[in-house]
Amino acid sequence: MDILSNLLMPVTDLKLLGLIAVGTFAGIYVGAIPGLSVTMAVSILISFTFSWDVYPALALMIGIYMGGVYGGSRTAILLNIPGAPSAIATAMDGFPLAQQGRAGEAIGIVTVVSFIGGFIGILALALFAPSLSDFAIRFQPRDFMLLAIMGILLVGSLSGESLIKGVFSGALGIGIGAVGMDPLTVQDRFVFGFDELRGGVSFIAVMIGMFGVAEALSQLHSVNTPAVKQRITRIIPAWSMVRKHLPLGMQTSTIGTVVGALPGTGGDIAALMAYDYAKRTTRNPETPFGKGAVEGLVAPETANNAAVGGAFIPMMTLGIPGDAVTAIMIGALFIHGLNPGPMLMVEQPHMFWFIVGSLMLANCFMLIFGLTGIKLFVKIVELPRTVLIPVILILSIVGAYAVNNNVTDVYWMLGFGVFGYFMKEYGYPLGPVILGVILSRLLDDNWRRAIISEQESLGGLMRGIVTSPLSLCLFLAVLLIILSNTPVWRYVRRNKAA
Amino acid sequence: MFKSVFGAAIALGLAATPALAEFPEKDIQGIIQWGAGGSTDTVARSVTPHAEEALGGKVILQNVTGGVGAIGLNQVERADADGYTVLFGAENPLLYKVMQLGQKDYSDFVPVNILARGVPILVARPDAPFDTFPEMIEYIKANPKTVKFGSTGPGGLPSVVSAMIQQKTPIEVTFVPYDGDGPALTALQGGAVDVMPAVLGAAIESIKGGKMKPIAIFDTEAAPQLPEVKTIVETNPEFADFLPWGPFFGVFVKKGTPDDVVAKLSEAYKTGAANEDFTKLIDGRGYKMLSLSGDDAQKFLTDWQSKTSWLVWDAGIAKKSPEEFGIPKP
Repeated sequence: MDILSNLLMPVTDLKLLGLIAVGTFAGIYVGAIPGLSVTMAVSILISFTFSWDVYPALALMIGIYMGGVYGGSRTAILLNIPGAPSAIATAMDGFPLAQQGRAGEAIGIVTVVSFIGGFIGILALALFAPSLSDFAIRFQPRDFMLLAIMGILLVGSLSGESLIKGVFSGALGIGIGAVGMDPLTVQDRFVFGFDELRGGVSFIAVMIGMFGVAEALSQLHSVNTPAVKQRITRIIPAWSMVRKHLPLGMQTSTIGTVVGALPGTGGDIAALMAYDYAKRTTRNPETPFGKGAVEGLVAPETANNAAVGGAFIPMMTLGIPGDAVTAIMIGALFIHGLNPGPMLMVEQPHMFWFIVGSLMLANCFMLIFGLTGIKLFVKIVELPRTVLIPVILILSIVGAYAVNNNVTDVYWMLGFGVFGYFMKEYGYPLGPVILGVILSRLLDDNWRRAIISEQESLGGLMRGIVTSPLSLCLFLAVLLIILSNTPVWRYVRRNKAA
Repeated sequence: MFKSVFGAAIALGLAATPALAEFPEKDIQGIIQWGAGGSTDTVARSVTPHAEEALGGKVILQNVTGGVGAIGLNQVERADADGYTVLFGAENPLLYKVMQLGQKDYSDFVPVNILARGVPILVARPDAPFDTFPEMIEYIKANPKTVKFGSTGPGGLPSVVSAMIQQKTPIEVTFVPYDGDGPALTALQGGAVDVMPAVLGAAIESIKGGKMKPIAIFDTEAAPQLPEVKTIVETNPEFADFLPWGPFFGVFVKKGTPDDVVAKLSEAYKTGAANEDFTKLIDGRGYKMLSLSGDDAQKFLTDWQSKTSWLVWDAGIAKKSPEEFGIPKP
């Protein structure tokens, strides 16, 4: 009974209900604007809600979080600029759909599957939080390293025509990610004596440049072509359509929840892994991936919203943040006099159920707000290019500046924009660059930790991998992904089929 | 009616004139050296609203991270010395010179308030085969290099505590680096690391929940939050040379800021730090309240820098000798 009253508290209290609604609505827009991140919004809210009670403060933050993760898909679909890193994969098939005049349909699908993904993540939080967090913290450095390798193999999915060019892009991304002071040894890397480079190259600036500015520049080629007329007949996807993709959505939601629950990995990696998973497992997509496949929208959007619930799992059970946003929320709980940690669930179980209830409610608001106003949004794509291109450029500059309030980031963003334009022109895919930047640290740090832990013996590391069931599974998965792309494998499969 | 409104307006105008000349005339920008959600951030964001009340002005907080805090520090150092740009920093800058992380440190600043100090504690994973510090040393001597110590890079709390241990009881262990004590303590709970020197506040809840085992508190007196945990000096009195020692948080302004502005800010932060909500937070997170200003704060910084710089230099972690920067031996 107690659980139920706490679970329903956000629904029965009008003030909380309103705050979650406002938060979710604002979150969608914060998420949609590249450079404005949920992390930033939530940390501003800490000061803003300082004098409030803990419940309304959390309600607002949860709303922003849920809305923001979803909002990133908006600009990804409409303008090919992901509003947040977790929407990078969404742009891959969402933008082609918009160019075919099906932007409204794409947003509709994304909204519904985001709701489903969010729901599954929250359900996992409510039902399996303790066991999932036990599983998540058992990941050793070598497991994170294998996970990162698995992620790097995504280059294959993101490359398009030429794998070699994809590998080049990915390697470039890993190099960019390595710039700056290495936090593990406090050594400068690729800094060349410039103090400005010590903090590294802002990854959001790279993303905005490569997607926003590079896209705007390549659209200049066709500045006089009239914009595609958008068909807005159907926004809420047909039930048959949802049902068809439900099995995939369930699987990718699971990926999202687990990756979200792992400390140190969040929605961005979850979405990319889910996209790759969809691409590998979908036998016959109606439209090929990269050209507007619905599966390419379902997978990343279920995963990144499921990762929200996932990220709360270690936070609520152990006081360990699952991603950057939950790290800030833990700070907020401290400020409000709570002590997040393993005892929180024991001493204050009502807090857990309140958060579950608020997440549920935010998820519902996300569905409602997401499905309204689409017609207006879709009009953006119908704007003439002479209007749209300057708007994209301004948005990119503002976004890059907003990340750290630093003009240097704007220069980086513009530099990478021009560079990205030429890469595009010469057929080098940009997705792998971003993938490389995201995974660079994860791979580098954990490889070093793994090998240091084994006293720098490669044999010891291999022994560790073979003797741990979890590491072995991950290792075999990596092997399988590589093998399944070799000519030998294809030959064997073809013979079997014949 | 008209008269009274008019009169009130004049009265308001008269009241406002002298106030204009007084600090602060506009919003103050507060730069936090570390990221949102971290301990410096939490402390800065929870003391500031109380200080604002005493100050009668607003402090707009912003996180400027990177370069072990050097990027935020340099930004405040580049601003005018007028008290409108305030730095919320931790202990790291005092080691910048010897670690070669930057040319500026707190000698280019004036302390407004040294708010609180952290208490170091050595924690182990719950199933580690030792319970006390002497047992741990014995186990490590019997199994050299196999015990994994979490670390956060040279100059951080774990490296300083490890340097203390190396100086008094030399041991052979493997250091596994993490980017911050949060991730390292997570790794400890997952068994990737066996022992971790951390700040009490970061470990306290996990210790209470049985997810970590306390080995020893690195302080001269027991922590009121965990009274049953032994201090290092109870088992190994030779450590008293280094203690008390701990990371700290403080509020700083650039050197050259007018004295009356520093005094006003110091007063405000002293009042803010005395607020009950804030003392409760400091206590709950396992810190020790200091709230030092003026000469006391300056002396605290000088002592801290001399003690720690020489400790890391002797341990071979530092790149340059403290002597080069005129840092006296303790």
